[in-house]
Amino acid sequence: MATLPKKESRAPNTCLGLDTNYGDGLEREHSRKPDHKRPEHYGVGDPTTPFSSDGSHLSSRGRISKWFWDLAEEGYRTYHMDEYDEDKNPNGIINLGTSENKLCFDLLSSRLSQSDMLQVKPSLLQYPDWRGHLFLREEVARFLSFYCRSPAPLKPENVVVLNGCASLFSALATVLCEVGEAFLIPAPYYGAITQHVYLYGNVQLVCVYLDSEVTGLDTRPFQLTVEKLEVALQGANAEGVKVKGLILINPQNPLGDIYSPGELREYLEFAKRHELHVVVDEVYMLSVFEESLGYHSVLSLERLPDPQRTHVMWATSKDFGMSGLRFGTLYTENRDVATAVASLCRYHGLSGLVQHQVAQLLQDRDWINQVYLPENHARLKAAHAYVSGELRALGIPFLSRGAGFFIWVDLRKYLPKATFEEERLLWRRFLDKKVLLSFGKAFECKEPGWFRLVFSDKAHRLRLGMQRIRKVLTGTLRVAEDPPSSRTQEPRGQHI
Amino acid sequence: MEVILHLRQIINEFILQLESRHEQEDLEQEEQQHRQNIRNQEAILIHLMCEVVNLLHSGASSSLELQLPRLSLVSKGGAGSGQQAQSSREPDQLSHQLSDSKTAFISCYLSNRGIDFSALYQSNLQDFIAYKGDKYHEDKNTLGFINFGLSENKHCIDLLTERLSQSDMNYIDDDLLQYPDWKGHAFLREEVARFLTYYCKAPDLLDPGNVVVLNSSLSVFLTLTMVLCDPGDAFLIPTPLYSGFTLTSHLYSKVELIHIHLQSKMDTQTFQLIMDKLEKALLEAKFKGEKVRGLVLCNPNNSLGNIDTLDSLKEYLEFAKRHNLHVIIDETYMLSEFRASIPFHSVLNMKSLPDPNRTHVIWGTSKSFGISGFCFGTLYTHNKEVVSAVGAFGFLHGIAGLTQHKLCRLLQDGEWIDNVYLPTNRSRMQVAHRYITNKLKTMKVRFLSRGSGLYIWVNLKEYLDPCTFEEEQLFYRRFLDNKLLLAPGKAYMCKEPGWFRLTFTDKPFRLKVAMQRFSEALTHKKQNWIEKQLENALVESVSSPSTRRSSSSSSSSSSPSSSLSFSSSSFVNVDTSHF
Repeated sequence: MATLPKKESRAPNTCLGLDTNYGDGLEREHSRKPDHKRPEHYGVGDPTTPFSSDGSHLSSRGRISKWFWDLAEEGYRTYHMDEYDEDKNPNGIINLGTSENKLCFDLLSSRLSQSDMLQVKPSLLQYPDWRGHLFLREEVARFLSFYCRSPAPLKPENVVVLNGCASLFSALATVLCEVGEAFLIPAPYYGAITQHVYLYGNVQLVCVYLDSEVTGLDTRPFQLTVEKLEVALQGANAEGVKVKGLILINPQNPLGDIYSPGELREYLEFAKRHELHVVVDEVYMLSVFEESLGYHSVLSLERLPDPQRTHVMWATSKDFGMSGLRFGTLYTENRDVATAVASLCRYHGLSGLVQHQVAQLLQDRDWINQVYLPENHARLKAAHAYVSGELRALGIPFLSRGAGFFIWVDLRKYLPKATFEEERLLWRRFLDKKVLLSFGKAFECKEPGWFRLVFSDKAHRLRLGMQRIRKVLTGTLRVAEDPPSSRTQEPRGQHI
Repeated sequence: MEVILHLRQIINEFILQLESRHEQEDLEQEEQQHRQNIRNQEAILIHLMCEVVNLLHSGASSSLELQLPRLSLVSKGGAGSGQQAQSSREPDQLSHQLSDSKTAFISCYLSNRGIDFSALYQSNLQDFIAYKGDKYHEDKNTLGFINFGLSENKHCIDLLTERLSQSDMNYIDDDLLQYPDWKGHAFLREEVARFLTYYCKAPDLLDPGNVVVLNSSLSVFLTLTMVLCDPGDAFLIPTPLYSGFTLTSHLYSKVELIHIHLQSKMDTQTFQLIMDKLEKALLEAKFKGEKVRGLVLCNPNNSLGNIDTLDSLKEYLEFAKRHNLHVIIDETYMLSEFRASIPFHSVLNMKSLPDPNRTHVIWGTSKSFGISGFCFGTLYTHNKEVVSAVGAFGFLHGIAGLTQHKLCRLLQDGEWIDNVYLPTNRSRMQVAHRYITNKLKTMKVRFLSRGSGLYIWVNLKEYLDPCTFEEEQLFYRRFLDNKLLLAPGKAYMCKEPGWFRLTFTDKPFRLKVAMQRFSEALTHKKQNWIEKQLENALVESVSSPSTRRSSSSSSSSSSPSSSLSFSSSSFVNVDTSHF
C-alpha cells in the first residue's frame, strides 16, 4: 500500500524555481541533509517538503501535487500573463526556458492538414486496445527499427503507446519499484522526472552528481562514468535506499550531450552487474543536428547486456516538435513490463484519431527524410549558430555539442556568491527584463550559476531574447573577472 | 524467510478451517453459506499461494510487504446471518480474479504492485482480448464474438463519424501543437462550462475556472481520489458499482471503497439507495476506524440504469454535508436517458448545492456521445483547491490539442446535438431497447431497466444452481462459449449472484444474433439442469447419500423455470451481514 514518506517539517524554502511552464523541468526544492559536508557525489532526492494542512480539503498527497503545480504556475503565470507577440505585445516575455521546437510548425501544419490525416473511422472512436491500436504499434516498431538502426526488426508486441513520456515515466516507476525505492539519475537532468516518478509511484531519484570540471580520466565536463555510478549506488545503499534502476537521457537534457556506444555499453554493463533496470529516454533522438556527432540509440547495439531490463522511451514532443500531441511510446523486450505498463494505460490513453495521425506521420518516410528532417536540422543549426555566436561575443562559456534544443550556459561569473539564491536572483533579473530562462537548480545541477537556454525559436524572438540577455549581463557586475577554471567549457573543435 | 514461515502458518490455519468447515456441514439452511465461505477461503488460499510463489521468485527480500492484513481470516456472516458475507473490500475481488485467471502472474522484473496490476489486467482483459481477435462480422466472421459486456454506444457511430469528418474539425494552429495548459485549453474549458450549463440546466452560468479537462472520466475519478484521499482513506459507494472504480482505487490511488450493498428486494424500490443505509454504513465504517472521506455516486447509474430523483440527490448531498464528506458524482451517462417520462437531473441543476466545496462532478463524452476512443473526461467543482490539485496531475492525463479543438467544435454545435444527434440517438436506443426487452420477456427473463444507460440489468438467478458466484461465473463462461460477452454482476460487486449487465446499444443485426445466442445459452443451461437432476436421482438411488453430495442436490430444489423461489431466501439480511 502506498504511503508517503514521512518527512520532518522544514520551513518552506523560498528558492523555488521555474523553467517550466508546462512541466519542462518542474523544479522542486532539493532538500539535502544539512550536515552533508563531505563532497557530494550523489544525493537522494526528497520530493516531500512541508505542507500545511490547515483548512485544506486536500489529502497530503493532494497538497504535494498542488505544491508542484504552484511552483510551475509561478513562472507559467508570469510568462502567460505577458507573452511576447511581435505585433500585439512586443514588450512581452520571450520564453527561452521551455524546451520546445518552434521552428517547424509550418511543415507540421501542412503535413497534418493533408487528407490522409483527416480520416475518421468508426473503430477509432471506440474503445481501443489499452496498449495502443495495433496499426500504430506496428508503425512505431517499423519507425524505431529504421531510425534507431536496430540490428533486427523491432516487434510491435514490445511497443506500448501512451499520452506522453511523463506518463511513461510514471507507469514504469510504478511497475518496477515499490514505494520508496529509487532510480539513479545523472545530474543535471530534466527536472520534471522527479515529479513524474513521484506523484503516482512514490519513487525517489538518487542523483549522480556530475562536475563541470574535467578531472581524472574525464575528457569532457559533466562526464558520466561507471565509477561515479558505483559511488552513487553504494552511497544510496548505505543510506538504506533500495535502487531499482538507472535513468539515462540520451541525447542528454540539459547538457545536449550524447553517449557514445562504448559509454552506453559500459553503463548498461554496470546496470547488469547490479541487476538494475535501465530506462533510456531518447526523446531527442532525431534532434541531433550535428551529423558528425554520430548518435547511437541503445536499440542499435548489437546485443543488449540485459535486454529484459532495458526499456526505451521515445515521443513526438521533441523530434516532431509537437509537445501538444501527447504521444509517447515504450519499447521493451520484457513482456511482463509491457503488460504491467499496459495495465495502467487506461489512465494515460490517447484518442484514436491522434493514433491514426501519428501512424500516418511515422509512415511517411519520404516526407520525414526529404522534407522534415533536413529542414528541421538546418533550422536548428542556424538558430544554434546564432545564439552560440552571441554567447561567444559576450564571452560566456557554454556547453553544447549539437543535439537537443538548448545550450547549457555557464553564468557562474555573474553570481556575487556561488549560491542558489544568487542563481535565482539572476534568473529573476532575466525575467524582469522579459526573458525567461531555466536555472540549473531546476536540473539538480550542484554548481550554482548554470542556465539552460533554448534556441529552437524563430529568429526575431531569438534576436530580441539575446538582446535582453545581453542587457542583463552587461548590467551585472562580474564578480570574478573570468576565473580561469571556468573559462571555456566548450568542447574543442565543436563550434568554431 | 520469516514472512514465508508466517505465511505457511496462515495457510495451515486455513486448511484447518476448511477441514473443520467440511466436518460441520450438516444444517441444511446453512449449506449455501458454507459453500460460499469455503469458496471464499479457497480463493484466498489461492491468492496466498500466489503470494508465496511470487515471494520465492523475487528472492524473499525482507522489504517485500505482503497484503495479509487485508485478507480477513475470520469467516464472516457466520451462522445467524443466513447469507454468505464477503468482506466488502477489494481483496475479495482480487482473490476472486486471481483464482479466475488460471495462473497467477509471476515476474522477477516487476515490483509487487506491478505484478498485482498485471494479474488484474490479464484476468480482466483476457476475454476482451479474445473478443478483439475474433470479432463478429456479418459476412466475414459470422462465428465471431459479440460483445454485450462492454458499455459502448455503437448506435450513432455513423453520425459521429460524419460530424467529426467535417472541415471545421481539422483546424490546426501552433498553439494546438505546443504544450497545453494542463487543465485543458481555455477555449475548451469555456465550451465545457457552456455545455454543462445548458445540458445540466444550471441555474447560473457555470465557471470555466471550475473545469479541468483530462483524458477520460476515469482519470478524473482517479485524480480526485488522489487529491482527496491518502492511501487507506475510504469512500462510501453503493453497489452494484462501475467496475472501473474498483480497478482505479486498487491500481493507483489505494483508496478503500466501502460498499453499501443495495438489494433487489429489501427496499421499497429495487436497488434503491436509502438514507438509512448510508447512515449505517458510515457509522459502521467509523466504528471500525476507517477514515471516510466521501461518497461516490453514479447518476445515471452504471449497471442499473437508474436515475436519481432530485429529492434523493438532495438527501445524499445533505447527508454528506452533515458528515463533512466529499461527494464525487459521476454523470458520465447523462444524455443517455431515452425515456422522457424519467427525466435526469444533474446535481448542477440544483438551486444551491448543500456543500459546493465538497461536491465534484464528473462527465465525459465516451457514453453521452458514444466515442469512448476519444479519451475525454472533465471535472466540474467549485473548489479551487481541488481544481488546481487535479490540474497538477494533468500532465499525466493530457489530451492532444488537436483533439481538444475537435471536442470544442462538437460541444459547440448545439444545433447538431439537439436536432440531429440526440433525437436520433434516443430513437435508436428506444428501438433497440424495445427489441431486447421484448425478447427477454418472451424468454421469461426478469430484468431492470429504468430508461437510462446503454444496458439492461438482467436477472438470471433462476438459472443458477446453486445460486453462487461460481455458478454465475460458469454461466458467464457458457455465454462465452456461445460467443457472447456479457458482464457478470460480480464485476460490479453486486451482492447477489445471478445478475448480468447486457448492453443493448448495438446495431440491429448484432442484437438479433446476440439474442439468439443468449437464448441458446439459456436453453442449454436448462437442458443441463434436467440432466443433472436425472443424474443426481440416479446417484441417490444407487448409493447412500454422502454428506457432500446430498448437500448440493438438496439445495437445488427449484426448477429453472420457476421464478426466484429459492434464490429469494438468499436475500435475507444482506445488509446486516455486511455491517
